[in-house]
Amino acid sequence: MAERKEKWGVANVYSSFNNTIITITDLTGAETITQWSGGKVVRADRQESSPFAAMEAASRAADDAREKGFTGLHIKVRAPGGNGPRTPGPGAQATIRALARAGMRIGKIEDVTPVPHDGTGRPGGKRGRRV
Amino acid sequence: MPTTEYLKIPQERVAVLIGSKGTTKGLIEKTTNTHLEIDSEAGSVSISAGEENEDPLSVWKARYMIKAIGRGFNPEIALKLAGDEIMLDIINLPDYVGKSKKALTRQKSRIIGKDGRTRDIITEMAEVDVSIYGKTVSLIGDMEHLQVAHEAVEMILNGSRHKTVYAFLEKKKQKRRMKEFQETHKIADL
Repeated sequence: MAERKEKWGVANVYSSFNNTIITITDLTGAETITQWSGGKVVRADRQESSPFAAMEAASRAADDAREKGFTGLHIKVRAPGGNGPRTPGPGAQATIRALARAGMRIGKIEDVTPVPHDGTGRPGGKRGRRV
Repeated sequence: MPTTEYLKIPQERVAVLIGSKGTTKGLIEKTTNTHLEIDSEAGSVSISAGEENEDPLSVWKARYMIKAIGRGFNPEIALKLAGDEIMLDIINLPDYVGKSKKALTRQKSRIIGKDGRTRDIITEMAEVDVSIYGKTVSLIGDMEHLQVAHEAVEMILNGSRHKTVYAFLEKKKQKRRMKEFQETHKIADL
């Protein structure tokens, strides 16, 4: 094999029902290389979380990362967590697939959704949410 | 790339996960290109990616399938999760009804309805698959459909009358059909 330097980074994917945010950092997580979100690529608010927007954002993020010399990415997926939903939104799968298709090597995939060890009460109060 | 995931499912669902002579297990392994190791006494499952596995999401998908089977779905429906758009949603009932066993069975019956009527209506109107098992209600379906179904179940849990929930589902279905119609006929929404 020809000598070719590998450089790994971390793609932090935050995927909620309203948006998908992709932050690519170096391995320490302290230095951000690029940041993209669904809202940066589509106009309508309701499309921010769509798989299409996530794919578009991911491929642009991959382009930026490649320019800086990264060849592979570990992935940390995160849902809103806490009191909110703990399953990643629709953009998560699309993001990972798009990153892979953009030619980045995919390392470990990890779910880093914050889960409370019994935290504050759910919103809504005793009588529930009244519409 | 050695990625391994672990999860636990109820003991009585282990038999379903494996299937007769391992057919179901084999099917999951084949569709997702993974390798499953099942401890049938403890009910713990470890999922590892198969060799030369290109798809980075395969382990994830297998995990959701196993979770779905553990939550009471039959394997045929769980295998629908192989599709990209199809997701699994689990509603934890104690979050809504508290610890009381009586309240739990009461609310479960309310979601199922007489002769499964309410459950059937949710299944049909929101185009999702519903499984009510133990302390959870699980839904499998398209993202948009899931949100509608989730809201409907939440309404029942918060004490809405069934009539109201049916009307809500009907309205959402109407809206969705309208949108589909507009999309197929290329009418730009204003």
